[in-house]
Amino acid sequence: MEILYFIVIFLFCLGIYTIISQKNLIKIVIGFTIVESSLILLLILVGYKPGGTAPILDKVYQIVVDPISQALALTSIVIGGSVTAVMLMLVIKIQKRYGTLNIDKIRKLHG
Amino acid sequence: MELAVWVIILPLLTGFLLGISKLYFNKILFPLVMSSAIIYLYLLILVIQNSNPPKLYSIGNWGLLGINLMVDPFSSMFLLIIAILFISVIVFSMKYIKMNKHKYFIFTYLMIAGIAGMVLTADLFNLYVFLEVSSMSSYALSAFKKTDKGIEGTFKYLIMSTFGSFFILLATILTYYLTGTLNIAEVSLGFQDIPFMIKSMLMCLFVFGYVIKIGLVPMHAWLPDAYEDSPIPYNVFSSGLVMKSAIYALIRVLYIIFGIEFLSESGILNIFVYWGVITFIISHFLAFQQSNLIRLLAYSSIAQIGYIIVGLFVGSEKGLIGGSFHILNHAIMKGALFLVVGIFYYSLKSVKIEDIKEMGYKYPIISFIFVINALAIVGLPPFNGFMSKWLIVEAALESGFVYPAFFILVGTFLSLTYYLKVIIKLYTKTEEKIITKVPLALKIPTIFVGSLCIVFGIVPSLPLSLINNIPKFLLDNSEYVRILLGG
Repeated sequence: MEILYFIVIFLFCLGIYTIISQKNLIKIVIGFTIVESSLILLLILVGYKPGGTAPILDKVYQIVVDPISQALALTSIVIGGSVTAVMLMLVIKIQKRYGTLNIDKIRKLHG
Repeated sequence: MELAVWVIILPLLTGFLLGISKLYFNKILFPLVMSSAIIYLYLLILVIQNSNPPKLYSIGNWGLLGINLMVDPFSSMFLLIIAILFISVIVFSMKYIKMNKHKYFIFTYLMIAGIAGMVLTADLFNLYVFLEVSSMSSYALSAFKKTDKGIEGTFKYLIMSTFGSFFILLATILTYYLTGTLNIAEVSLGFQDIPFMIKSMLMCLFVFGYVIKIGLVPMHAWLPDAYEDSPIPYNVFSSGLVMKSAIYALIRVLYIIFGIEFLSESGILNIFVYWGVITFIISHFLAFQQSNLIRLLAYSSIAQIGYIIVGLFVGSEKGLIGGSFHILNHAIMKGALFLVVGIFYYSLKSVKIEDIKEMGYKYPIISFIFVINALAIVGLPPFNGFMSKWLIVEAALESGFVYPAFFILVGTFLSLTYYLKVIIKLYTKTEEKIITKVPLALKIPTIFVGSLCIVFGIVPSLPLSLINNIPKFLLDNSEYVRILLGG
């Protein structure tokens, strides 16, 4: 169980590092999706109980996993998906106008 | 159906109706938008009137499990800002936006729905969801003109803002893990037995996330870039409501969930006061160097946010009143300034400070509005900006923050210099130039918003009768918690 939490921490840090260190816009977007996935994984982990089931199809059940955190995970997936979509849309526009994906070369704003 | 729910549902519904109406009837835009805005205004006034004592709207009688909306004086002040800005900007944008009107109004309504949800909700996760709804429409509006600069600025805004919301989401998940609930009242009760260190860590995550969204120095760089090439009516909302709603969320989380005792014990109040001072001093200097009027106003916005942060985090009753009053005043003053700049842009197609020469003679009334609002934002009597700044200075002195109070006065002089620079340009004579005639539909909302700064300056008791009740429910969170738990 504990190792899963370490995986979440590792993914979170990896994503943040990707966002900060990379110069390519697509790689930055990938960093964002990694962080997002780690947070969704954390949400699922928070509500998970060993041996628990969802009390929808099973007629007999003893341990129930927390349904609230799963509902929250669904919401975060939707939000994350739409943020990624908007990001990719902007990346496409930037690529068409500037002809590059390197973040250092995209500088029309200054001041 | 509960009344307050419609404050969120009505703009959402209008947004979707606009999307459908674009497919079938194109002519319906104007009546639909206007009637919805007027009904919304009426609805907001009804909700604001019922806000003292705070009222709990529990949807579907699910108790603490369900969706709870809470209207207290602090949220009703934000509803007041929405009421003032929304109707004026809708009228203004009707003539101002020429291309893709449907899209523009859909996003505006969605943004208002998100902000209204943020100020009403009493649930941490809903706070995050509504924050994302308002930010998402905000990104779309910021890139609305589809120019190179607009898209680049929006990308910066998107990156920074999403980075911030990850930390907010992380903090929300950890809060749920620790307390097993997301209802603000229950979280506040559950936090009493959590060790000091863990609470401080959670607070750092919340603060880091929201501060990026607010745009305090040094996390401010995205803000002028996002403003520079976006439609000007959107800038009014952006500086008046989108930034302010992040401040609202921060105050709600810190004061209600963590409580004032924990805040003063952990020293975050002192940090925020000095952070606010650094913010306004640096951004005043940056504003002075700008040649673009919109960037100048954007830096000025960051500076005013610094004053607000100083006021709100002094930690006394007077500070909270001053800070909240300054939120309202800044929304109105900056709104009027942006609308005037919008009129200049409409007639000149330029927002460079060099190009607005002689506009003072071409549009005497509009320029007069600009001048009085600029002086109000600097903080000269008898305008409203003076009232709220005076309250903040007084509160800072009473709580023993002598240097911040002194620097507020220094900041006032700094802001006077760059606003005077603009005003002098406004009344400089130059050779004849071609200007487009401005329709009355742009002038009336500008004059309405602009004249409010005199009204609130001469009769400050008008908004203060609402604002005076704010500290009672923020400084002592037990009252808020009791009402939310249904007692």
